[in-house]
Amino acid sequence: MTAIAEAVRAGELPGRVWMYSNYHCNLACSYCLTESAPKVSKRELTSEAMIGVAHDAADLGFTALGVTGGEPFLLPDMAHRLAELGSILPTVGLTNGTLFTGRRLDAAEELAGTDVALQISLDSADPDVNDAARGPENFAKVVAAIPALVERGVTVRIATTGQDPDAVAAARLCALHRDLGVPDEDHVVRPIINRGRAAEAGMGVDVTESDLPAELTVTADGAFWSPFGPTVVAGQLDTDLLLTRTTVPLRVPAQTLLGLLQGRPAGADSTLNIR
Amino acid sequence: MNTAGALVTAATPRVPLLDAASAPLTARRYFSDGDPGPIVAALASVPELLEVTLPFLSTVLSASALDARTKEIVIVRTSAVQECRYCIDAHSVVALDTGLTVAEVRTLSERSPASLPDEREAALLAWIDAVAGATGPVQDSVAARLGASYRDYEIVELTLLIGATMMLNRFCTALSLPTSTEVTMRLTEEGLV
Ligand code: SF4
Repeated sequence: MTAIAEAVRAGELPGRVWMYSNYHCNLACSYCLTESAPKVSKRELTSEAMIGVAHDAADLGFTALGVTGGEPFLLPDMAHRLAELGSILPTVGLTNGTLFTGRRLDAAEELAGTDVALQISLDSADPDVNDAARGPENFAKVVAAIPALVERGVTVRIATTGQDPDAVAAARLCALHRDLGVPDEDHVVRPIINRGRAAEAGMGVDVTESDLPAELTVTADGAFWSPFGPTVVAGQLDTDLLLTRTTVPLRVPAQTLLGLLQGRPAGADSTLNIR
Repeated sequence: MNTAGALVTAATPRVPLLDAASAPLTARRYFSDGDPGPIVAALASVPELLEVTLPFLSTVLSASALDARTKEIVIVRTSAVQECRYCIDAHSVVALDTGLTVAEVRTLSERSPASLPDEREAALLAWIDAVAGATGPVQDSVAARLGASYRDYEIVELTLLIGATMMLNRFCTALSLPTSTEVTMRLTEEGLV
């Protein structure tokens, strides 16, 4: 067993490896960590690179994968990529949920019955509140997409991001996600993080690495401590949570991450519930 | 006038120089005592390289079996042959602090052939000029002259020091790393700018 596998099994190292498939997005949310928008640098990972990371992760003893962006489903083959990843390790794919119509919705059917869950952002049961941060028509598109995906057998989770997570998790939102076919255990609530566009707007909670789960995160620009690491401010990638520029083989950043964790003082874990 | 002082001074670095706030996790310790200088600040963008390069450079460039004066002669002279503004400036200050005179530093930092009265150091300068200032084999006569003054293991170390300095010279020059204000002020005070 590798040292990584032992650390994952012992709970010292989180089991999930994240990948930033791309940084561009059809939306431009006010709190976006990556300053994503339609015209930003795409910073894409190829399908081959992502499958390679997944195999490396499995060989090292990691137990799950995550894909985020940007909006991963702007890449036309994303449903197929996720299905392939899910055949290697259980995978969660983060999406804004606004693109599931027509061919993309049909393509997403490939995820039915696989070990892949889609995690869709929905911030409020109030369309105006939700759309203020995430853009016009966002609410309507998301509440149409979720049941359409659920009907097709795709596992869907909902992620709610807010200035005051307790307030946004209010009863109305929970009633809504249940109505949409998403059970309570698949609803994640998390605070806005003061990085990326949120930092420029003065929003969110300040975090350091001890507040963020040490989930190894691979991007086109290197490997980071946590998917909240490779954020972008004023078009520049943040490097404070960079582990290594080397991502292949994955053991290089994985060992760096493990070394940092093992050198960390006891009790350094955060209570901020950032997932 | 110091010939090296006539070289084009780098204006803007060609890569980001990270600071304490942007330093990656494993690089942070190099920033804990303040600005570590532009070589570390540039290398910090690739932390896994910083992790191996810095201990190597520190071992090769700092105190060792060779005396500090000899090492600074090698570094300043190699940097002059390579026309590295950043390294000439930074190590002229170190050389002065090590005890070299202003006149010696001026001689070493000129692009034209340098000479020192001591035969041991003159043989060393010839070796540096042959290794850092040319490509291809080094003449037997230059090696024999060096061998008359230095033991084999010292020649190994001297030659690695020249090579490491050349690596730094090209790194700093190609990336236009800037000389610090403190160094420029000191060199101005000493009449070396
Ligand atoms: S928060 Fe997500 S959906 Fe919004 S702009 Fe950023 S990547 Fe796109």
